[in-house]
Amino acid sequence: MVTRMGMPPVPNREDINATWKYLEDGITRIMTDLEQGMDMQMYMGVYTAVHNFCTSQKAVGLSGPSMTTSHRGAHLLGEDLYNHLIQYLQKHLAALVQSSKSHTDEALLAYYIREWNRYTVAAKYIHHLFQYLNRHWVKREIDEGKKNIYDVYTLHLVQWRKVLFEQVSEKVMDAVLKLVEKQRSGETIEYGQIKQVVDSFVSLGLDEADPSKSTLDVYRFHFERPFLAATKEFYQAESKQFVAENSVVEYMKKAEMRLAEEEERVNMYLHGDIAIPLKKCCNQALIADHSALLREEFQVLLDNDREEDMARMYSLLSRIPDGLDPLRTRFETHVRKAGLAAVQKVQSSEGDKLEPKVYVDALLEIHTQYQGLVKRAFNDEPEFTRSLDNACREFVNRNEVCKSGSNKSPELLAKYTDVLLRKSTTSIEEADLERTLSQIMTVFKYIEDKDVFQKFYSRMLARRLVHSNSSSDDAETSMISKLKEACGFEYTNKLQRMFQDMQISKDLNKEFKEHLESYDNPKAVDSTFSILGTGFWPLTPPSTHFTPPAEINGEIEKFVRFYKHKHDGRKLTWLWHLCKGEVKAGYCKNSKTPYTFQVSIYQMSILLLFNEKDTNTYEEIIAITALSSEVLDQALAVILKAKVLLMEGGDKPGPGKAFRLNYDFKSKKIRVNLNLGGVKEAKQEEVETNKTIEEDRKLVLQSAIVRIMKARKKMKHTQLVSETINQIRSRFVPKVGDIKKCIEILLDKEYLERLDDDELGYLA
Amino acid sequence: MAEAKPASQKIWLISNDNATMEVDRVVVERSMLLKNMLEDLSHTDITQDNPIPIPNVNEAVLRKVVEWCEHHRNDPVTTPDDESDARKKTTDIEEWDQKFMQVDQEMLFEIILASNFLDIKPLLDVGCKTVANMIKGKSPEEIRKTFNITNDFSAEEEEQIRRENEWAEDR
Repeated sequence: MVTRMGMPPVPNREDINATWKYLEDGITRIMTDLEQGMDMQMYMGVYTAVHNFCTSQKAVGLSGPSMTTSHRGAHLLGEDLYNHLIQYLQKHLAALVQSSKSHTDEALLAYYIREWNRYTVAAKYIHHLFQYLNRHWVKREIDEGKKNIYDVYTLHLVQWRKVLFEQVSEKVMDAVLKLVEKQRSGETIEYGQIKQVVDSFVSLGLDEADPSKSTLDVYRFHFERPFLAATKEFYQAESKQFVAENSVVEYMKKAEMRLAEEEERVNMYLHGDIAIPLKKCCNQALIADHSALLREEFQVLLDNDREEDMARMYSLLSRIPDGLDPLRTRFETHVRKAGLAAVQKVQSSEGDKLEPKVYVDALLEIHTQYQGLVKRAFNDEPEFTRSLDNACREFVNRNEVCKSGSNKSPELLAKYTDVLLRKSTTSIEEADLERTLSQIMTVFKYIEDKDVFQKFYSRMLARRLVHSNSSSDDAETSMISKLKEACGFEYTNKLQRMFQDMQISKDLNKEFKEHLESYDNPKAVDSTFSILGTGFWPLTPPSTHFTPPAEINGEIEKFVRFYKHKHDGRKLTWLWHLCKGEVKAGYCKNSKTPYTFQVSIYQMSILLLFNEKDTNTYEEIIAITALSSEVLDQALAVILKAKVLLMEGGDKPGPGKAFRLNYDFKSKKIRVNLNLGGVKEAKQEEVETNKTIEEDRKLVLQSAIVRIMKARKKMKHTQLVSETINQIRSRFVPKVGDIKKCIEILLDKEYLERLDDDELGYLA
Repeated sequence: MAEAKPASQKIWLISNDNATMEVDRVVVERSMLLKNMLEDLSHTDITQDNPIPIPNVNEAVLRKVVEWCEHHRNDPVTTPDDESDARKKTTDIEEWDQKFMQVDQEMLFEIILASNFLDIKPLLDVGCKTVANMIKGKSPEEIRKTFNITNDFSAEEEEQIRRENEWAEDR
């Protein structure tokens, strides 16, 4: 049978001195000698003594059912015990402070940590043993709003902070910083100690307003603040020396390493709260303080294509506020200069005969090079991309080539596109073509005068379609959809309609053929007709009268009847200058197989005259064909040059001259192309296109102004100008003077009226 | 900290009148005092020969308290946070607890004192509610009779108290 021998005698419940003496023995045991262990009797004894003391006066007579006591109110005892405990802790801690003085540096750290651990473990025990005090007296005091009363565990922390921490924390921190400096200098340290110090400092942060919550105030003031100061000092000194002795590139490597180290340090043994201020501190000392030096180096790196080092610089400067702006400015300037230099180079080597491909390739090369740099070194950052775009826009629109005319860039770009899309002997693979078209779009994006591109493009598309020498429908469609994506439906509307017209014409020809066959009326000539909508095609009627030859005329009349029957009321205008055909020459003595001449319809009408007789005079030809002499001369020139006809006397066709069919005509090729009006015509077209641009712009401006005013009804003059610029910018960059002129025109035409106070009104 | 112990681990308690009893650890842990102690003294072997001493509580009361803990062994542990006011204010008692509390007055107060000592909050609440229900609806004289209290107020004192508490009276 178990006896109660181990149970210590619990003192009289009413005697504070005896009770405290009893408790003190237990607490001291816990504080100083817990390793020895504690038995249940003692644990229970201490708890019971606390309980008994706290219940003493109130609980008198508890063994009986009668509640008759002299104390009626809810008087809770405990203050005496609480105060005794405080006194005990203060004495204990004062002793610890005293013995801490014999330790320094790492020994002090070890001492602090050892005592801290011992103390907090003990605090937990004592907290449990004084639970009765916590539950009743302490709870009541706190509920009543008394300040500076804490539960027993918190009381231990408060006392530690007041008595010990105030005196030794600075020395402990010195030891910590020495240790960290050792590690920064490459030594291996026992960093677990630092972690424990951090944890201890954090535990001591008690919210004065609400002791159940903790704050980081103590830790921030006593640990973070000195830690950051020491870090700053260390890196300021180190970087100053390193920069003096090494290259900038070497320094960047060093700084990168140090920054990574500090990040790792936080993970290893610091509190997460320091991560951001520590990073800021290091960024300042390692980067911001040397940012001017770094930026100076950037130009050198750019000039030498040091991609990896630029990436390093980017990542360093991106860590500090506004660190990258100066880089972007330099980058933009650099790219612009590189672009201008590239254009100047091709301009000076090619001169006036600058091939569109060479020019566009020069632009693209610069763009590709620096876009790659942005991707690889600058993290593909949108801001750098914008700098790149700005630079490209500058050198694409304002360079050496454009000096002769600002329309040059879009014109050359459109011409290059034409070269790509035109059927030619050196046609490229489909995949390559698609890629090149995408590159065209890259340049197109930077073109400011997009309307100029549109003009040239539509003219050249018209030529490709009419002469059916487009390399592939797929490529044409792909290009149009790219333009549509970039500039919207309106921009490509006409281009698309042109395309449709060709498709409709194809079906129409088929129907026409079937129509003729159904009448058992085979075609005399093998013909095709294209019906082109007047509003969509950039084409003008011929400048000359013309009477088509009888052979052709019959066919034409049949077609007109067929078409008018189908679409009543439509007006057909014949674009003779775009018509062409082939004639076979069966008269030549030197060849068994007849030659085939590819001719314009003008040339055809001339040659067909020689079916009747071998010689025709200039006047005769004019009379029958009704051609103007200018057009006739041009048509004859090629025929004469090829010696299909021979002219008697003089070298220029004109009145009084006669032409004879050459029966001895010789040619290496069976098919002979006589339809070569080209070069001169193209030049003329170019001039014409440029001329119409200015006119068209005025119309675009006017319609934009009217649109805006219709929506707003009233507007200030200056506002209207800037709104107009906004709307038009995607097409071209309008000049303010032009806009003002257009407003004047609209005032004259009474679309707008002048109101008071510099305002304009819309007249419906 | 205490290692995870199987729920069936046995603990021995000894009352202040030397009665030893065997109880499952989970049951014992209804008492915060004993739960903390088991954790703090996790290296101590508790055996039939070395039971946990429970001063202040005699065998009869301790058995009663253990019975309650056995019945409530699987109740969720209430933390101070979710001790809602609603639970405190109501005097409703679940059926089993009502039956459990059908004891003589002396035992009732002993249970209350023991649960206060052992820090078994829910049992303390049940005890106090039982007492509250005994008071509810009774006149001062009836209350005095119920708890065997002598009236030690003078007539003047009584009058003054009545005036002070007039507002609380049912009318």
